[in-house]
Amino acid sequence: MRLSELKPGAIARIVAISSTGSFKKRLQEMGALPGEIIRVEKTAPLGDPIEITIKGYSLSLRKSEAEAIVVEVLK
Amino acid sequence: MKEIKVAVVGNPNTGKSTLINAIAKAKLQVGNWPGVTVEKKEAHLKSGDFTLVFVDLPGAYSLSPFSLEEKITRDYLFMEKPDVILCVVDSTNLERNLYFVVQLMELEIPLVLALNIFDEAKKLGYKIDLSLLEKLLGVRAIPTVAIREEGLEDLKKAIIEVYLEKRVPHKLSYGEDLEEILEMVRFQLLTLNPEVEVSKLSKGVLLKLLEGDQELFFKLNLRYHLDEIRKYLEHIERVHGEDIETYLTDMRYGLATGVVKRVLDKPEIRKITLTERIDHLFLNRYLGIPIFLLMMWLLFKIAFDIANPYVDFVDETINGPVMKWARVGLEFLGSPEWFSSLLLDGVIGGVGIVVSFFPVIGMIMFLVTLLESSGYMARAAFLMDRVMRSFGVQGKSFIPMLLGFGCNVPSVYATRVLEQEKERKLTMFLVPFMSCGARLPVYVVFISVFFPKASGTILFFLYALGIVVAILVGIVFHRVMYRGASSPFIMELPPYRLPTLRDLRVHTWIKLRHFVIKAGTWILAINLVIWILLNLPWKPEKPEESYLGKFGALISPVFKPLGFGDWASAASLLAGSLAKEVVVSTMAQIYGSETESQEEKTLNIKEDLKEIALNFLKKTKEALNNLSSTFGIATLTPKEPEEVKSLLPRLKNHFTPLSALSFMVFVLLYWPCFVYGIATKAEIGTFRLYLQAILLHTLVAYAFSLLIYQIGRFIM
Repeated sequence: MRLSELKPGAIARIVAISSTGSFKKRLQEMGALPGEIIRVEKTAPLGDPIEITIKGYSLSLRKSEAEAIVVEVLK
Repeated sequence: MKEIKVAVVGNPNTGKSTLINAIAKAKLQVGNWPGVTVEKKEAHLKSGDFTLVFVDLPGAYSLSPFSLEEKITRDYLFMEKPDVILCVVDSTNLERNLYFVVQLMELEIPLVLALNIFDEAKKLGYKIDLSLLEKLLGVRAIPTVAIREEGLEDLKKAIIEVYLEKRVPHKLSYGEDLEEILEMVRFQLLTLNPEVEVSKLSKGVLLKLLEGDQELFFKLNLRYHLDEIRKYLEHIERVHGEDIETYLTDMRYGLATGVVKRVLDKPEIRKITLTERIDHLFLNRYLGIPIFLLMMWLLFKIAFDIANPYVDFVDETINGPVMKWARVGLEFLGSPEWFSSLLLDGVIGGVGIVVSFFPVIGMIMFLVTLLESSGYMARAAFLMDRVMRSFGVQGKSFIPMLLGFGCNVPSVYATRVLEQEKERKLTMFLVPFMSCGARLPVYVVFISVFFPKASGTILFFLYALGIVVAILVGIVFHRVMYRGASSPFIMELPPYRLPTLRDLRVHTWIKLRHFVIKAGTWILAINLVIWILLNLPWKPEKPEESYLGKFGALISPVFKPLGFGDWASAASLLAGSLAKEVVVSTMAQIYGSETESQEEKTLNIKEDLKEIALNFLKKTKEALNNLSSTFGIATLTPKEPEEVKSLLPRLKNHFTPLSALSFMVFVLLYWPCFVYGIATKAEIGTFRLYLQAILLHTLVAYAFSLLIYQIGRFIM
């Protein structure tokens, strides 16, 4: 499953980042590494971007970018 | 006295700026990084036998740069070799901050950590074992609370201590395999670059080569064998099943997480933070956008309704008493008339323009800094991104664009909130389509003559047209010029924090100073050029005979298809590049309707000063009135300019309603004023953007006016 498909409140574990280059690197440097557990907090009022909690802080990213994060849903 | 060069670094939103402002106090020196317009702050402080030179580097999440600012930080750390690195760490977010610290340790430079926001971490129930942290990393770690100036003395002591001891952080092990490869890379570099000392080849430098940061190696002027490096990379991928970047990020985060697990004792049950509560409301599905719009209305109202009376005050003071004193002084000295005119209109008038921007730029930079340092700016971006993205910019662009309705010049400065260069330039480029306050007098004059019954409709049409054109141009630019290259939007939503007054003051002052230094001289120069165009050949009998008039006559046929092909309109439009409201006053001048009021020339400085003071009080009252009396925005309330009353009846001889509409649309869209242009030059370093804007905006204006005039004629 992709992170972009999750609803607010969902908790998931990152399986892989399916992207390349500096974008992938930055995602990883912000903490989006395989094995990391994240929580989807909110969707913006207009439907995009989304807010997630990762490594104890809040990160916002667009759905098109969240699509690059492959996750496995825990809850 | 020995100097210690201290590079101050840290993740964004760690309070680094507050810390450096608190350390530097009045000693803060501000400049720019060479070649770019990213702020550079420095402070020289004496401490015991040493002078500590703090150099504030832009906030960064990593030494693999993603933005221009992060590039500056990387370059400085790798190339300038500071004596000590001071890293500001958010104590409430240790893990991600330590990821950056691990990268700094690779540089093998003495390192001090300021564990900032330590009070909040305590409140959250975090217990951080400082001495264990210091032992594990081989650094000094000092708890600080920058907003209350706590821990600053300890910080300075620690900096001197690690400097004297030459205490380099521990070399953390990155695994046998990688360490071996690093040794081989070091050997290769030493062989290929015999002139380089071993100490220059820190682990950080070696890792940069493996990460493929060729730009940095070019800057460091180091030779290497790409083929051999590739072999190592393949080896890593084969053995560990990951590419080098993932492998390294994993490794560094692993180290950071490991340290955090040992030094941080977090309570099991997490309290719901204030930030979460606020966001529950501010980012609410239904209320988020209305609250945002309300905030923006407040922002706009406070900025312009308070600042504008003071703009008038500055204007009236300089054009009134100051001009008078100068005139009397010049007469006393027996200066020739042309010189007096040059000095009064050209120079003092130019200074007047610069100074009159103070209140509005100051006010807006104050409010924008408040939005940014409180954390709301990131929320604004979160809320508006969906809308703004469709025309190639991102959520944060909304605020500079909105401010554009008041004045385009501070908007240019407000684009500083955008990290990506491309989005910043595009936002700057689109801002002039927002109809600024200076265009309002032009509309008012024409509307009151030609459309007195439909004034609201026409005004609304003009403002809306500006927005529509901005969206269209944005989409075209986005699609054609920067196709597909939408920069990612990976943005931290930092906790809400109260900014300190000192921070607000310092940042507002920095921008004002920047405007005066970078833009002031240009504004003076161009004002002089305009004076020359208007007044030469000396004392034109009729306005047609000035250079401006002649030039106006020359280009006027171009405007014929738009419905206003006379030389007076053309000359007014040319003069309008000074500031758009000048269109009206030039027209008034040309149609000869202005009666020069003879001012009394008795010099009574005491009386004048009293008048200035009284006027200041009056304007302050006006500002307070604006703020409290109406829900509407005074700045955007049409008022008829006094000096052009006599112009009104004459306009009917030169315009029809249709050509008046076409003229207003042209004024809305054409040639952004030169102060805007100078502001863009001051911010991005070249006039290119302004030249492009002049060209494109004028073209767009021409097209729309043509469309309106010709379609209108066809219908009638």
